Amino acid sequence: MLAIQALVTCLLVLIITPTNAFEATAEADIRPLDTFTVVNPRRKAEFDDELSALLDDNPAQASRVEAKFLWVRTPMIVSHSWSPMIALPRDIWPEFLAKLDVELIEGSFPKPDSDGVVLHEDVVRGRGMKLGDEFGRAVNVRHTTPGKFTLVGVFGGPSRVGLTDLAYASKPATVLYRRPPVQVVYAKTGRKDESDQYLRDARQENGHEAFTVIDARYARQRVAEVFQNLPLLIGFITGSVALVVALVISLLNVIAFQVRVDEFGLYLAIGHARWRLVRKLAIETSLVAVLAWLLGLGLGLLGVYLYKHLWLAPKGIAIYVIDARPLLFSLSVPVLSTLTGAIALGRRLHSMDPVAVIQRRGT
Amino acid sequence: MNETPLVVASNVVLEYHDGSRDVRALDGIDLAIQRGEFVGLVGPSGSGKSSLLFVLAGLRPPTSGRVAVMGEDLPAYADASAGMRRRRIGFLFQEPFLVPYLSVRENALTHAPGDAAEGRVEALAQAIGMTSMLDERPHRLSGGERQRASLLRALANNPDLILADEPTASLDQQTGHAVMDVLRTHTKDAGLLVVTHDRGMIEDANRVLFLRDGRLKHE
Repeated sequence: MLAIQALVTCLLVLIITPTNAFEATAEADIRPLDTFTVVNPRRKAEFDDELSALLDDNPAQASRVEAKFLWVRTPMIVSHSWSPMIALPRDIWPEFLAKLDVELIEGSFPKPDSDGVVLHEDVVRGRGMKLGDEFGRAVNVRHTTPGKFTLVGVFGGPSRVGLTDLAYASKPATVLYRRPPVQVVYAKTGRKDESDQYLRDARQENGHEAFTVIDARYARQRVAEVFQNLPLLIGFITGSVALVVALVISLLNVIAFQVRVDEFGLYLAIGHARWRLVRKLAIETSLVAVLAWLLGLGLGLLGVYLYKHLWLAPKGIAIYVIDARPLLFSLSVPVLSTLTGAIALGRRLHSMDPVAVIQRRGT
Repeated sequence: MNETPLVVASNVVLEYHDGSRDVRALDGIDLAIQRGEFVGLVGPSGSGKSSLLFVLAGLRPPTSGRVAVMGEDLPAYADASAGMRRRRIGFLFQEPFLVPYLSVRENALTHAPGDAAEGRVEALAQAIGMTSMLDERPHRLSGGERQRASLLRALANNPDLILADEPTASLDQQTGHAVMDVLRTHTKDAGLLVVTHDRGMIEDANRVLFLRDGRLKHE
């Protein structure tokens, strides 16, 4: 009984937890936007004096820097994830990386004016790249990143971000030249939300958006929209499994009760009240269910941990090993099995005739 | 002897269906047992001896008639309050009927949990030579030892009435007499009703009742 419930709990954790890989990976891609906000002109090719003045009126802004903003596509379990890659002036690289808590762990930084790029280790693994590999639409039309780049270094750290030289991305000879520059806006300490709110409020110009604000809130909203129906699937799977398990468990409880029918017949015969016996059985059933749940959770989390390190990490896919959703969903197994088990056993006990048990025993 | 009978059965009738057959297991039983009285009950198989014990213990409600234990009507089995009163009755079954995963001590205390009962179980165990077996599981005991263990359980809460249904039937003569000696020694202030086929086990009974076809005859 305990083993079956533990196994089902373990399976639910193993089935449900990997669905957070989409969110966990998206979160790693979004995390740089907790440090800065990207502002992209919409109606003009670049930030002219008027738009620049509008940005600089932001009371929560600490600094801003011109950059080019690109996305690097990485295969996911289903579809792809998109990590930001930024072309920045070389002189601000150290400050940019320090704020993101990202550091070079392999290779080197791009040489001046070169097509070199440093990508995050997850992205490098996910794309199956090695130092010296070239990528970009100019290399392979199936690549989504415009231009041509050569991988020269690998970043490690919590934020998935790629870095290249703005001077290269601004060369008239490259396709990136035609890509409009964006502004990377840093807020004053502790005023990021205020800064982002100012930018969102300021973007409207005569009923049209003067610029797009790509901040963490915007990105997380987009991710939430993509996954908004996921609980429908998970809830259905979990509910169905839990119901079947509950029925099986109640059946097993009744079978186990048959083995102990003499014991309960004896308790009734020597004067134990039925409701006390029902309570005893309910406590036993719930203890087994809780123990099984804890055991199943432990096994499930161990399985997810191994899954993460042996299969997902080499593909550059992130996952939260500890996730409230599978824990809560799997809780339906002990709750339902305790309820159905206790009801089934209570009914059996209620209809039990201790004299019949004694007489059968005596024959 | 106390003037108020420990147990009184008045015109007790017990009927039940056995398949398509209507069975009148007890037919107008009148019986009173006093405190300190040892009563033997004999009769052929199927005469209603066990049925009478079940009715007196409150395990089977009589079809008609009245059963009173210690001056109180014994409610129907389904009545929750019957449980506590029934615990004043020690029941000794033909089979030891021990819970296999509990020790002898734990089995004895299922009938009467608490420190007082634990002390009494220790004393009883010493009296019947079972002290060294108190922490053993039933499967490690012989048939006689198991029956003595069930005796511990029946006597653990110092019951007012002991109902014993052929307690020596599965034992050899010597062990059977030993069990009866213990039963007699430790129930001097209680009422004792013993169902048996072996007249030798009840030779020192105050009374012997004979049951045939659900009707009681005094010998």
